[in-house]
Amino acid sequence: MTLLEAEVGKTYEIKEIKTDDDEMNAFLFRLGCYSGEPITIVSKGKKSCVVVIKDGRYNLDQLLSEAVVI
Amino acid sequence: MRIAFAGNPNSGKTTIYNAVTGRSEKVGNWGGVTVGRKEYPIKSEFTKGTEAIAVDLPGAYSMSPFTPEEGITSEYVRNEHPDVIINIVDATNLSRSLFFTTQLLELGIPLVVALNKADINAKEGTSIDVAALEQKLGCPVVSTTAIENKGLAEVVEKAVALNGTTQKAPYLQADIDLHDKNAVDKEDRKRYKYVNDIVSKIEKRKTKSAQVNKQDAADKILLNPVAGILIFAAVMWFVFWVSQAWLGPLVADWLVGYIETFQEWVATQLENSPPILSALLADGIVGGVGAVIGFLPLVMVMYFLIALLEDSGYMARVSAVMDPIFKRVGLSGKSVIPVVIGTGCGIPAIMSCRTIRDERERRATSMLATFIPCGAKIPVIALFSGAFFAGAGWVSTLSYFFGLLLIFLGALLIKAITGYKYRKSFFIMELPKFKVPSLKFAFKSMMERAKAYIIKAATIILICNTIVQVMQTFNWQFQVVEEGMEHTSILASIATPFAFLLIPLGFGVWQLAAAAITGFIAKENVVGTLAVVYGLTAFIDVDELALTGGANNVAMAMGLTSVTALAYLFFNLYTPPCFAAIGAMNSEMKSKGWLWGAIGLQLGTGYTVSFLIYQFGTLFTEGHFGQAFIPGLIAVLCMAAIVILVGRKTRAHFDEQYRLHQAAQAAKA
Repeated sequence: MTLLEAEVGKTYEIKEIKTDDDEMNAFLFRLGCYSGEPITIVSKGKKSCVVVIKDGRYNLDQLLSEAVVI
Repeated sequence: MRIAFAGNPNSGKTTIYNAVTGRSEKVGNWGGVTVGRKEYPIKSEFTKGTEAIAVDLPGAYSMSPFTPEEGITSEYVRNEHPDVIINIVDATNLSRSLFFTTQLLELGIPLVVALNKADINAKEGTSIDVAALEQKLGCPVVSTTAIENKGLAEVVEKAVALNGTTQKAPYLQADIDLHDKNAVDKEDRKRYKYVNDIVSKIEKRKTKSAQVNKQDAADKILLNPVAGILIFAAVMWFVFWVSQAWLGPLVADWLVGYIETFQEWVATQLENSPPILSALLADGIVGGVGAVIGFLPLVMVMYFLIALLEDSGYMARVSAVMDPIFKRVGLSGKSVIPVVIGTGCGIPAIMSCRTIRDERERRATSMLATFIPCGAKIPVIALFSGAFFAGAGWVSTLSYFFGLLLIFLGALLIKAITGYKYRKSFFIMELPKFKVPSLKFAFKSMMERAKAYIIKAATIILICNTIVQVMQTFNWQFQVVEEGMEHTSILASIATPFAFLLIPLGFGVWQLAAAAITGFIAKENVVGTLAVVYGLTAFIDVDELALTGGANNVAMAMGLTSVTALAYLFFNLYTPPCFAAIGAMNSEMKSKGWLWGAIGLQLGTGYTVSFLIYQFGTLFTEGHFGQAFIPGLIAVLCMAAIVILVGRKTRAHFDEQYRLHQAAQAAKA
């Protein structure tokens, strides 16, 4: 499933990043967002969510939330 | 020696840079405040006499750039060979930051790690074993709290001591083919694993970072698509109201009293000198510059409040909450930051567009950002709101929100012209921890701005006013223009052809045309020039925000109705910004086509907006269209035709490129 289907407050393991954009994938990697790493959903709306990756909080838009498979 | 400051975005590089050099470069609590390289000698009290230049660089997550400003950093540390690197590490996010640190350590340049934000760690109960980290990385590590000036002397001292040495890397990337995606990916994972191992050994956290806290509760409201946007609108309205309708004018009244006294004093001193000299000095220079300086408090209060907002961490939330709206018109949530910075000055606003990754979005934002009235336009707004609308607060609020509306409409237009094809535009924004904004920083930022404003008034504005005064006093034969013959002055004869073009907008007189033209040099000039050409000085009155000698006198002198006054005000607000800002646009866009497109769009927008306000405003108030409706309509329609033609050409070109691209791919297959 993707981030928008995840449960708030739970920590998941990232299975795959599907942005179809190598540079974007590389950028997410440098933040610590890559397969095998944990990701926690802090809150989510209809079209965006806030996650914790490593020790930072990030706001992701719909496109990116759907590109992170957990 | 040169010491480069490198580290992740929002780790505190510029705060440390400012502390050790004594500069006041822009700081803010979000990632991507610094977008260019800054250099300045470090104070000798830090270096103990060694000459050292600090080089502040934009934040970067790694050596491989993602956005243009990240590229500046990796290019600098790689190619310019700084003598020492101070790597500023956000100690609250060690596991991410050390990835970049291990890359920097591979360069062989001696490195000192500044473990910044130690205060937050202490508060959250996170402890880091500095000695163990030092030993693992093989370089000095110093715990710092930049905002309290703690540990900075030690960092600089250690950096200076390392000059001339070579750094040994604790971790070396294997020799791989950097074009092989899988190999690079594997190496990067190994590097992260190495970092994770270090962090797990040296860091102890009392509070897990994933734990939900009060900030998350606040974010839930601030990031809500409805509540968040309403809050943002309310916050901005509050900023404009305080700076331009309440506190700003209050202080301005007091200041204007002094300016008037000074002007009278100058006039008394010049009593026995030739009238031309006294006119030039007392009215032209002191009056014109004084009129501009009088509005300084409004600008200062505004800067102070914006600085507080920037320091709190709220900007990142605004950017996130506005992203869906901005995306709909073909911009990005990151376009909000230039817009907010643009309320202060257009030049840093245009430069801050560098954090936008997509080129089209970046260029479009830098093209549109200046529709938001900048600090230099505040005097113009305040003058017109005072003279024609009894100082009504709605004039300034309307100016800003109308500017925002123009940004949206302009973005849609650019989207249509460039034949924007649907492309995935991702948005990710780090949400920094909120902090109580520092009054000291806000005060510093305000004083810095005030200094710049006064310097500008004493140089550019002064020179312009003097030239305007001279051009107005003399005719082409260099004889003094007689009373009643003002239209023969040099200024009048130059400005009249332009005034002709402005007739359909309701203000086709040479005085107003001249003020609008000098506005392109600096927008404050509009006020200065109006003061000179109409012989009006000291614009703000003590009691109410009305003009000295009665708002009506000024309104009558200019011969404008409230409709034409609004049209003229908006013309000055939404036509191209000053030349300096156009220069900034040029260097950010890196394309002559886009630059001329931007200038054309801004001219067209200013003209069309004024035309519509004047003509329909007159229709509404007087029951008939204003002067020269048909010629104006033709001009506006011509502009529309040009837009359509340019759009067609660009789209055809775009399609062609796209087809070529497909053909090439087909050939490959």
